[in-house]
Amino acid sequence: MNFETTIGEENISILHVAGKILGNASDVFRKAMESQLQTGHDKLVVDLTEVPLIDSSALGAIVTTLKGYQRSGGKLVLLKPQKAVQEVLEVTQLATVIEIYDTEEAARDAFI
Amino acid sequence: MPETILVVDDDLDILELLKLNLEPEGYTVRTASDGDGAVQSACTEPPDLILLDVMMPHKNGLQVIEELKSIDETKNIPVILVTARGQTDDKILGLETGADDYITKPFDLREVTARVEAVLGRTRPIKYINPLKRAMGEGFSEEGLQQLAGHLEAAAAIQKKLLPDQAPRLDGFDIENLLQSSTSVSGDFYDFIPLHETQIGIVLGDVKGNGIPAALLMVMIRTALRLLCHDEETPAAILKRINDLVARDTEADLFATMIYGILDTEENTFTYANGGHCYPFHYNSRNGIDVLKTGGMLIGAFEEATFTYGTCHLAPGDIIVFYTDGITETEAAEDATADISTHWEQDPNVLFYGGDRLAACLSENTELSAAALCEAILNDLAQFSGSTQTNDDRALIVIKREI
Repeated sequence: MNFETTIGEENISILHVAGKILGNASDVFRKAMESQLQTGHDKLVVDLTEVPLIDSSALGAIVTTLKGYQRSGGKLVLLKPQKAVQEVLEVTQLATVIEIYDTEEAARDAFI
Repeated sequence: MPETILVVDDDLDILELLKLNLEPEGYTVRTASDGDGAVQSACTEPPDLILLDVMMPHKNGLQVIEELKSIDETKNIPVILVTARGQTDDKILGLETGADDYITKPFDLREVTARVEAVLGRTRPIKYINPLKRAMGEGFSEEGLQQLAGHLEAAAAIQKKLLPDQAPRLDGFDIENLLQSSTSVSGDFYDFIPLHETQIGIVLGDVKGNGIPAALLMVMIRTALRLLCHDEETPAAILKRINDLVARDTEADLFATMIYGILDTEENTFTYANGGHCYPFHYNSRNGIDVLKTGGMLIGAFEEATFTYGTCHLAPGDIIVFYTDGITETEAAEDATADISTHWEQDPNVLFYGGDRLAACLSENTELSAAALCEAILNDLAQFSGSTQTNDDRALIVIKREI
């Protein structure tokens, strides 16, 4: 798994993740998401376009971080999960509490 | 999980003798016949204790200790030295080097067992201290943590015993369960709770998160379920109450997925609610396999979660299979991965056992008994992964209405 973060207009951060998020990689994934909040960027788009698979620990990372953003009045949304990832989000019904968008533009609009 | 002792001696008769003596005490015994073998074995899979002969050719016991103490993974493993009578210098040197105790040859086997137990009794709590410190914060004294660790160790043992060994016998139904645990405290759990003469509560779940906090959460959920399930409520209402209880009292990174259902052996129905858990399968002769998709939010993460319940009717020969993601997330054997990597682009799921393959295995084996079906699934998993070992917990429950 690799990732990079860009901070763009309106102070919205976009975290681009590439590769499977499994096992220990989920710690790295969580820290990458949390570090945005810790540095005061409380608007985060997690771009999952290039993530073919996640496991339960990655899911845990998303839940934990999502709650962190909610507590501090920020917002975290997901961008374009692939089929396998979308399925996991649906089985756990995280899809009902986290906003999911198909395009970066729509994801950005979520913060306005 | 039994504690593992690594016995090291260049005398094969002594190795055999110690193995025969320690195994009946409930320990798993590994052996090594020289110093290099001992270090290698300890590094590959650290044992809970090493029984180490001092006098060995090439690398002696004292050198082995020094080497073990210099490696992070092995430096905390307790060591009992086995010395010949009169080697006082070796004893002192050994204790200085970091041995925890010593035994003098020729030894009395009862003394060996007693010393092993004594050393393990002293060092056992240490395994729990570090994770506890992280979980409980800095406010606890070392002594307080040690005491707590002792209690938790007992709790983990009790938790193991809480899991019923055998599925209950019910008229007209054949039920089988299976749990493969990857560590001493398992994240997966199940329970069978008699409700009325013709009704039984069945739960299968998976606590996410690690170590002792996760184990505690599981005990909390199981206890809550045992208390709540006797109320005349739907499975959905019960999951909701458990969710609210857990969501209020735990950190965000601790949560569980679980299915709770009531099997009614008079009505031949299964009424269930699902808290974010992998969808179970219902085999029936009409449709083949139905995926039971009545779902709900995972348990313990959000207080506002809601739950619904579904009911399915079980005709003779129908089968319901619940499983945890340790089964579907089993990875393919490495050599197989190379072959299928070309398909990876289209479908990453080929790298994992997955729900489809589990469903296929079920539909090919519907004539089997519940126990034989569990066996067939395990065999299929072993074939897929190229190993009978697992690095995640796996649990499985099969309910079959007899024909």
